[in-house]
Amino acid sequence: MEKNNRLNAKDLINVGIYTAICAVLCTAVAMTGVIPIMMVLLVVFVPIINGIPYMMFLTKVKKFGMITIMNVLLGAFMWLTGMSYYALVVGTITGLVAEFIYRSGDYKSKKLGIITYAVSGIYLWANYFGIFFNADAYFATRQNFGQDYIDSVTKLLPMWMCPVLLVVDIVCCIIGGWIGAKALKKHFEKAGIA
Amino acid sequence: MEYRLDRNVHSLLDPRTKLLLLLTSSIFVVGNAGEKQMYVFYWILVFLPVVLLFAEKEWKAGLIAIVIYIGSYYAQMALQHDLTAVESALALMLYIITKILPTVILARYIVKTTKVSEFLTAMNRLRFSDKFTIPISVIFRFFPTVVEESRAINDAMRMRGIEMGAKKASEAVEYRMIPLIASCSIIGEELSAAAMTRGLDVGKNRSCIWIIKFRIPDYLVITLCFACFVWWIIGRFFV
Repeated sequence: MEKNNRLNAKDLINVGIYTAICAVLCTAVAMTGVIPIMMVLLVVFVPIINGIPYMMFLTKVKKFGMITIMNVLLGAFMWLTGMSYYALVVGTITGLVAEFIYRSGDYKSKKLGIITYAVSGIYLWANYFGIFFNADAYFATRQNFGQDYIDSVTKLLPMWMCPVLLVVDIVCCIIGGWIGAKALKKHFEKAGIA
Repeated sequence: MEYRLDRNVHSLLDPRTKLLLLLTSSIFVVGNAGEKQMYVFYWILVFLPVVLLFAEKEWKAGLIAIVIYIGSYYAQMALQHDLTAVESALALMLYIITKILPTVILARYIVKTTKVSEFLTAMNRLRFSDKFTIPISVIFRFFPTVVEESRAINDAMRMRGIEMGAKKASEAVEYRMIPLIASCSIIGEELSAAAMTRGLDVGKNRSCIWIIKFRIPDYLVITLCFACFVWWIIGRFFV
């Protein structure tokens, strides 16, 4: 059978579903961001929790473009829910890169899948750009959170934390992806869903 | 018997207007751009969703929203003085509610009153690619489903004694995530089948049974949104 490389409705619906799941989980975790320390730890929890749906999503990816679309949508979601547009820009680029990485393994390799997740997950790190590079404007919109909150967040996030967060993000993505791959193997491959 | 289809039964606003309104609302209400200068527009944007709810005859939801608005307004007034720790946490909660609630109402209104085919057609007219509009419409359809499923799974797991905050946190997460994803992926298969019967894959232009065009309310809302942006840009760059 000739392999059809155009994205059809089924692929696009899969993208939609897994984006929705990731976005819901992300929101659920991000609600805890009102506590200053959690604000920083979001970069740890979100990748780990999102690992399972993302790895599941990757098993459905067989054509070029799906990962990019998902990242663009997640980035747009971040923007609409009051983060900055950095996530959208960075997410688009990393999504493309991740796409090429996953394609090099012929959309099959689990290891490359984990790396794909790590690369595409960088958009989470981009959410913090607002705090690092444009702190005044960022906190101007959050005056009512109280000065305590602003102080403790700025104290937790000095400039040198920026690269650290990137590393943490990638590491946590790899952990999350690994957990996801394990969960897939344990539950879905037996059941024949993945 | 003659069957007549009323092609105008859909909601007050065009899908495109609704999206523009959502964007405006998320920038100026949630994002709080412009602050003091946008004061009037801010309150218009806060109360517009409630007006829309009433326009769709959602009396109960609209009244609840108004009660919450008034309640949180007075509570914020009462919490103006120096705050203790508990009070400031409370004020923070209130703040988040008042910031996010209007946009949540608006989003709920959009999801409830927009048919998927309407949305797809409107987006198509804006020259958006199918590759983005189909996932977006699936996401909108799916948000409530995911929440509903996870609630049901949560109940089931509680019945078996697997609680959040139990000893094995990883187990608690795993036993919720896996069923959630499994059931969502099955729903996805069904959706794909439904999409196939609707001919999403044919690759030709789809027709839409609803008449989609801008009407007077649309022009009013669009003018309001553009006024917001213009006023904001004037304040930002020229004053």
